[in-house]
Amino acid sequence: MKGRALAADMIWPLLSGAAGLALWEGLVKGFDVPVFLLPAPTDIAETIVAKWSYLLSQLAITVMAAGLGLVISVALGLMAGAAIAGSRFVDRILTPWLVVAHAIPKVVIAPLFLVWFGFGLRSEMFFVVAFTFFPVIVNTVTGLKSADPEQLLMVRAMGASRLQVLQKIQFPNALPSICAGIKLAVSLAPVGAVIGEFVASNAGLGHLLIRAVGDTDTSLAFAAVTVFSVFGVLLWRAAEWVERLVLPWHPSQRETLMLRDATT
Amino acid sequence: MAMAGGAIRLDGIEKTYGGANGVRAIATLTVELRGGEAVSVVGPSGCGKSTLMRLIAGLDMPTQGSISIGGAPVVGPVPDIGIVFQRDLLLEWRSVMGNVLLPAEIKRMAGLEARAGELLRELDVAGFAEAYPWQLSGGMRQRVAIARALLTRPSLLFLDEPFSALDALTRDQMNVLLQRLQTTQDVTTLLITHSIPEAIFCADRVLVMSGRPGAILDDIPVPFDRPRRLAVRETPEFTAIGRRIREHFEKAGVLVG
Repeated sequence: MKGRALAADMIWPLLSGAAGLALWEGLVKGFDVPVFLLPAPTDIAETIVAKWSYLLSQLAITVMAAGLGLVISVALGLMAGAAIAGSRFVDRILTPWLVVAHAIPKVVIAPLFLVWFGFGLRSEMFFVVAFTFFPVIVNTVTGLKSADPEQLLMVRAMGASRLQVLQKIQFPNALPSICAGIKLAVSLAPVGAVIGEFVASNAGLGHLLIRAVGDTDTSLAFAAVTVFSVFGVLLWRAAEWVERLVLPWHPSQRETLMLRDATT
Repeated sequence: MAMAGGAIRLDGIEKTYGGANGVRAIATLTVELRGGEAVSVVGPSGCGKSTLMRLIAGLDMPTQGSISIGGAPVVGPVPDIGIVFQRDLLLEWRSVMGNVLLPAEIKRMAGLEARAGELLRELDVAGFAEAYPWQLSGGMRQRVAIARALLTRPSLLFLDEPFSALDALTRDQMNVLLQRLQTTQDVTTLLITHSIPEAIFCADRVLVMSGRPGAILDDIPVPFDRPRRLAVRETPEFTAIGRRIREHFEKAGVLVG
């Protein structure tokens, strides 16, 4: 029963995907669309196979920028979030800046990053941070502030210090929310890295993409987009896997069978 | 460590919120609980019992009067008290055992794992030490909350309407369990409830409180031997105590019919 349900879960999406690709292939070949305008899936696959190591080496650069930026962003976001949630004063001072910073269109200031941080990894990293710090901070603050007031009262009655309240109640309570923020950041980080590479780098998938389009090597551009998308999906999956590991107790992870039904 | 359950003295306490013309939550209240005694407080909603809890736990200071537990005046949060709230307040991210051990972690007391296991056994939830709270029924969750409150051997166990969210049958079970704990655990218990039968069944003494501002209308001794069985509720003596409490509420206009 469970196996069959799983098979149905897999089969329909796969069939749907295959049908879409077949339609694409058929239309491109049938109407004789030139490759520089729109390559067929088989052309893209050929390019991926032929330029595999080149694509991977460029992906590695993008991954490096996205990863480093993400680490900085999460660290900053957690600290700033804790400070804002812990103090109304910090909240009042810092939050307006954050809101304004987030409202500035990041693509517009990308050239400034080039001026400030120069060409290459450093610029890209800061770009990733600019793209991802906001969801981490916002979700950290929301999570830390959403602790049950009665649970806080309870541990205060036990004589808990402020640090203990944070450590025993507020932080674990905020963890699902923090995970949601980090997942958002994880999905934004590669996008930030690629846009950073458009503007301020001579390497990476983003740069490769710009150059491929410039050379009307549309197959290569599509290959880059494909590699990038697969990477994005894998990263998302990894984030979900880590989340399951960190939050085994959370309602989203619970099995439908409740122990109490079996015992009372 | 509790010495034969601490005696609790409330000496002429008064509590007003919001300055001189504020809300009077508690009018002059003087009462003494002997060490190891089981006392119930029964009263209508808004009789200041939550205020009473905050005052005894040292989370709030009385406007007038003083409180002492085991001879020591209450001037700040009192670690020597275990509180069971209406909601169990179990931490969803911790196992049952992790929840029971929470007060030990906060008070930095080591070596209470065996005591936690004993309490879970006594409360008939020993098989669920590794389960998460969501896997338990309401009654079982409240048992875990009681074990948590008793872990560090407090001299006072304060129960603030602990069973009011449970179904009638589970509530009866919990009443039996509580009166058993009152004999096995060396602890003074103060039970706040809206239920007249529950107040009598779980106590050596029932305090009847008026509506806001809270004041004590009556102080009734409950003579039944322990351990008690639920059947004691059908005896004429039990019924008589119940009537005496009800008459106070009827006079105050809380119960009309």
